[in-house]
Amino acid sequence: MGWLKTGSSKPSAGLKGVLREVLSYKSAIAGIVILLFLIGLSVYTMVTIPLPEAIQAWRSSEAWSRNPRNAQPEWIELFYGRRLPRTIKVSLGETKASEVLREDGTLSVSWVIHFNYDYDDFPSEIIVFFNSSYVEKPVVEIYWIRPDGDEILLKKHSLRRPDDRLYLSNDLGLELKLERLFESKIGKKPNFTVTVEKGLFSEYSQDPRVLKGVYGMRLEATLSKNDVLNAELVVYGTVHGLAGTDHLRRPLIIGLLWGAPIAMSFGLTTALLTTSLGLIIGTISGWYGGKIDSVIQRIVEINAVLPFLPILILLTTFYRIDLFIILLSVVVLSIFSLGIKGTRILVMQIKSYPYIEAAQAYGASNMRLILFYVIPKILPPVVPGMISSVPGFVFLEAGLSYLGLGDPFLPTWGKIISDAQTNGAFYKGMYYWVLEPAFMLILTAIAFALIGMALERIVNPKLKEL
Amino acid sequence: MNSEGRLLELEDLRKWFEIRRGFLSSKVNYVKAVDGVTFRLDEGMAMSLVGESGSGKTTLGKTIIRLYEPNGGRIIFQDRDVTHLKANDLKWYRRMTGLVQQDPFGAFASHFTIFRSLEEPLLIHNTVKSKEERAEKVFKALEEVRLTPVEDFAYKYPHMLSGGQLQRVAIARAIILEPRLLVADEPVSMLDASVRIEILTLLRRLQERLRLGVIYITHDLATTRFFSEWALIMYAGHVMEKAFTQEILRNPLHPYTRALLTATPEPNPENRNRFKQVPPGEPPALIDPPKSCRFSPRCPHAFDKCFKEEPPEFEAASGHWVKCWLYERS
Repeated sequence: MGWLKTGSSKPSAGLKGVLREVLSYKSAIAGIVILLFLIGLSVYTMVTIPLPEAIQAWRSSEAWSRNPRNAQPEWIELFYGRRLPRTIKVSLGETKASEVLREDGTLSVSWVIHFNYDYDDFPSEIIVFFNSSYVEKPVVEIYWIRPDGDEILLKKHSLRRPDDRLYLSNDLGLELKLERLFESKIGKKPNFTVTVEKGLFSEYSQDPRVLKGVYGMRLEATLSKNDVLNAELVVYGTVHGLAGTDHLRRPLIIGLLWGAPIAMSFGLTTALLTTSLGLIIGTISGWYGGKIDSVIQRIVEINAVLPFLPILILLTTFYRIDLFIILLSVVVLSIFSLGIKGTRILVMQIKSYPYIEAAQAYGASNMRLILFYVIPKILPPVVPGMISSVPGFVFLEAGLSYLGLGDPFLPTWGKIISDAQTNGAFYKGMYYWVLEPAFMLILTAIAFALIGMALERIVNPKLKEL
Repeated sequence: MNSEGRLLELEDLRKWFEIRRGFLSSKVNYVKAVDGVTFRLDEGMAMSLVGESGSGKTTLGKTIIRLYEPNGGRIIFQDRDVTHLKANDLKWYRRMTGLVQQDPFGAFASHFTIFRSLEEPLLIHNTVKSKEERAEKVFKALEEVRLTPVEDFAYKYPHMLSGGQLQRVAIARAIILEPRLLVADEPVSMLDASVRIEILTLLRRLQERLRLGVIYITHDLATTRFFSEWALIMYAGHVMEKAFTQEILRNPLHPYTRALLTATPEPNPENRNRFKQVPPGEPPALIDPPKSCRFSPRCPHAFDKCFKEEPPEFEAASGHWVKCWLYERS
């Protein structure tokens, strides 16, 4: 252990020297680059999506009603080699309505909206959102205009409330109607189940083929004078954004982004607190010896046989849990770790060095000896250990979240994996849902592990040969 | 202050180390490393403490500067009882005493520069307030031990200096608080023969110039002649003989001192034809030393009384004390 020698060992030439040495390892550079990326990501996230906003959005279902459910990330196209449908939103407000004033004072209004559809796959869902105010419930007739000119009456819908929604995909009557239409057009039963999406977007053929082109929708309604009717057609795609969405239509990117600062601050704070408190306790134990030492060592031994995870699970089950309390309990449970024994032995060894005796002879107090003479000596092996312990705590937080014991409000990586698990993501082939947070977790772990390993090699040159 | 220039007086000083054994440390034994030492050291005088390994000379040195708390007896420093000083009084005593250790390579914290190592005592005692004055003091101390130009040495780390240079820094550190008493614990035994005499000369010059009281601990009788006014021979925790250095070397009285002197190599070609008589056996274990004279089991001149009773110190000649029954005057 070169760093333990008092005289002949090379002292670290300050922070600059350490940094230069760290940068001589390619792995460390990779680790630092990843870490800087994660830090940048965290800062970006915290600036662009403030936490209260993120929590609120994450917990509300209304905010995401225009997002597709369980959509894959957009870049997944690269693997399929097809253009997958994005979500298309067209609002009536954008088009001119033609109005005819009837004799009885009511208005007969009709709108036509158009959108281009040139994706290689069928949409996942179609919903018409209404937003209206009226005296008497209006009846809306909805027609579908295909690129080939065909016009289909989709539904005669009587609004049930001002913000009514028309879930076209769930309309069994429409499904039956479309199936009959296909039968009559191609002369026999098609080879596929005609769902609403396929019925509306497929060519009239034996097998489902997307008919590309400009689609239209016409709405006709009879309104009284001061009635207002607006509607929005949402044709949900199968891909969404950079990270896709989950079962509640929430964009995973928010959880993934916010997971970074949460995971890193949790991991770093816990590692820093447990390591520094352990260092102080170990130093006191080794320095003062005697009864203090015995008491501390017995606590460490008892703590070593206590089951860490079950106690944590117990705590988080019984008490209102948030991230801060989890952090506190983890710190309390890990400060009396076995690492204290190692620190203690190092301190006892250093305590016997002549320079300590010399310092006592010129009057250095115990406090000064510990702070300026002992701790700087034991810090070198402790720091890489601390960095290397960060992934463990990041995984611990994810593990607790996965078990449903994490902070219930914060969007974290562990929680996303937990959601994926309960919704059977793997069975349904929604790999992205699990792999994305797992990737972030591994990325974080790798960053700290690479830096920690490089530091460890610098501190303990024997490892260089490995 | 002190009337007769007395710097340090020890009265029957004892340092016993506790050894606990058995269930719940119920049995207590003691290693009697220093067992009743009495002497006086005047201002500006150097005294050699000579003895073999395990004789308790290092323990005595450390007890004198209160690195160990004595179990019995008294230490009087400048007419003040310092035996059991605490806190601020002890801090004062730390300022009045200095220590030079045996191992110069281990004497410095490797993460401090030489400057910081020398600055530490000043910082602790806060004797010099301003940074500039502290630096001035540090540089002056380095000049004092002839490490010049001082700027070349001040900002180096300990591993960049040689043993001799480090020992000079150690001396500088020991005198930077302007102490009155210096304990030098085998300051040259780990150095190359070529630099030993330089370091000793340096110490001697400083001692004379600053009128320091010096306790020079050594196992090497040959250097005492050169270094000190007084010599004290220790064996198994007891002082066997004390006198002027010249007197002891010329006229050793105690059988043990004689044996030590015989063992000292002399550059005389005649020696190859001479057989040197050395007492057989080894020093006693200090847990349970002989109740009588501690040298008696090995002494060639021992008689009945030597095995029965511990001898007091007899003044065999003026200022020459011997702890041996042979010099009892009836």
